[in-house]
Amino acid sequence: MKRMLLNAAMSAAFVLAAAAAHAESDVAAKAAAALEPYKKLPEFQAAGEPFDAKACMEGKSIISIPASSAIPFLKTINDSMTKIAEQVGFKFHVWENQGQVSQWVQGIDYAVANKFDLIDLLAGSDPRFLEPQVKAARDAGLTVVAAHLTGFEQAIPGGASAVVPIDYKTAGALLADWAIAKTDGKVNALVLVSNEALSTDSMVSGIKEAFANCPDCKYNIVNIPIPEWATKIQPNVQSALLADPTINYVIPIYDSMAQFVVPAITITGKTDSVKITTFNGTPFAIGMIQDGQIEMDVGENLDWIAHGILDAEMRMLCGLPEVKDPKIPLYIFDASNAATAGTPPEANTGYGDDYIEGYRKLWMLQ
Amino acid sequence: MTLATSDTGEAHARRQAWIDRAERFGLLIAWAAVIIVFGLLRPDTFLSWANLSTILGSQAVLVVVTLGLIIPLTAGDYDLSIASVLTLSAMLVAVLNVWVGLPIVAAILLALLAGIAVGVINGFFVIYFRIHSLIVTLGMGTFIHGLTLWFSDTQTISGVSIGLVRAVIITRVLGIPLAFYYALILALVIWYVFSYTAIGQRLLFVGRGREVARLSGINVDRMRWGCLVVSAFLGAVAGVIYAGTIGAADPNSGLTYLLPAFAAAFLGATSIQPGRFNPIGSVIAVYFLVTGITGLSILGVSTFVQDLFYGGALIVAVTLSQIVRGREERLN
Repeated sequence: MKRMLLNAAMSAAFVLAAAAAHAESDVAAKAAAALEPYKKLPEFQAAGEPFDAKACMEGKSIISIPASSAIPFLKTINDSMTKIAEQVGFKFHVWENQGQVSQWVQGIDYAVANKFDLIDLLAGSDPRFLEPQVKAARDAGLTVVAAHLTGFEQAIPGGASAVVPIDYKTAGALLADWAIAKTDGKVNALVLVSNEALSTDSMVSGIKEAFANCPDCKYNIVNIPIPEWATKIQPNVQSALLADPTINYVIPIYDSMAQFVVPAITITGKTDSVKITTFNGTPFAIGMIQDGQIEMDVGENLDWIAHGILDAEMRMLCGLPEVKDPKIPLYIFDASNAATAGTPPEANTGYGDDYIEGYRKLWMLQ
Repeated sequence: MTLATSDTGEAHARRQAWIDRAERFGLLIAWAAVIIVFGLLRPDTFLSWANLSTILGSQAVLVVVTLGLIIPLTAGDYDLSIASVLTLSAMLVAVLNVWVGLPIVAAILLALLAGIAVGVINGFFVIYFRIHSLIVTLGMGTFIHGLTLWFSDTQTISGVSIGLVRAVIITRVLGIPLAFYYALILALVIWYVFSYTAIGQRLLFVGRGREVARLSGINVDRMRWGCLVVSAFLGAVAGVIYAGTIGAADPNSGLTYLLPAFAAAFLGATSIQPGRFNPIGSVIAVYFLVTGITGLSILGVSTFVQDLFYGGALIVAVTLSQIVRGREERLN
């Protein structure tokens, strides 16, 4: 009897252990499957029906007010937009600024005074800080668009006319899924965020959803405001790594944070045990993948973003149906494909260039 | 009667000596208190050698910028361009090394030369046109930032030679990255110059009273100009260490060092040699602030509390120092 009970207990323990192991590998397999579509070179998808952009944009004008012209990411998008506008043949102006709200206000006033048709508030010149000006511009008949600021599930902020959303939630989920797949469902992550950026909410919800499917994963979210990245990220990451030696992933949700994470990992001597996954695909960060300092970066092609935003905005000005999803793809860079971005990496390289042809056809430029 | 007077005099002297000592070592005591409190709260983590070496090894940039600031401050001038020089220097190292392909040593030398050049120009406007250093360096800092954005094409550049990274944070002595020792050596050199050389004494005279210094035969203009050049040079040194720490450079983030460095300089002036900007006090101030912030982040406290600590510590320390000095004056 005693032996029977012992055998039964051992069998039960074995089954439980096997089930737990299976559950772990199941979690990791699901995460790996979620990553798969984003490892393939992105293909062009139209966000709507083709239209004659040259004809309908004739005499129309767009002004872009980026969060700051000093941010490389935004400068590159604005440069691409300028080239596209030249090809299509409409007036496009970039309101150069150094990231001060007063300069954004000036930009909107300039747009109203000079009778632009559409104001593109690009990636961080947040309409929530500009409500009176946005209202005045809309009253004057201008369309005000917050581009590359919100996720698909977020509401239009600050009284703007419309948004061009980005799939931030999926980007966030991919960062978590990568860590889950790599650790077989045993992640202990330090997630670095900047709450003042609206996109952060969407990314964090994606990260939380992905980790919710992983019972053995844990994470801690630390908020570091953007102006304090240079002085606060390194000491905070160092302390966190020392306080909890089981941390195996640091997830700075924007890759411009990663340059301050790398020295923290080096100084604490955790280069082998702590990996970095991040988002944006900024060239220097892809360079850090090539150097083995970052494990994975979910990239966005900045030129593709420029095309996607202008496609959505031109449709607004041409009275076409609103674009809910601009079809701007996410693409995973890791050690296996980082070299395709060039050495040293360049913006917009590594994503293929079929989309350029795709947009030209969509806009009936050929 | 004579005996009573002598007793009072002795008590007075003793009390003054205590006040003097309390002020001199107040910050050091506060630093020890912070270590003890966090050590009790998180003994395994906070008191580990890994944590200590991390605290010491990761703040070399801030120490060097602070040391750069106290030199013109001692002479009565401000250098608001020092953080822009830091950024210029770090970006020059990255651009010349990664984009142009120059050997890292050549890139570093050119970055240091650029720093010296900025100091010379700052001094020229301050001395020849008699413009306040605050205005000249404010303008120069903004100008240099524009220049840095232009030549770097506002890009972040990674891939700075591993040789520099190795010489700054990878190589360790007693577990502490070399960057710490560079900053320490610099602090000791400045301390020696300030305390034991004629030039250090002259500098102090210039800072305390320019007219008196001039009448005493000191070439005040040359001293002030020299201070602005040394400060810009140290800004450039900080930039090189910064590029070596992060293995990359970007045209914006270095600017955020300016206010913490000023905070550390003023906090440092409340200890060791109270009332004077002094290098050892400055180093203690930096590490006092960093120890507090590290302890708070080990406890998992939100980053806004770190700002409360940073700002609060500065105000409390300077206020206490003022109170002690006021009492000292009354006793005298």
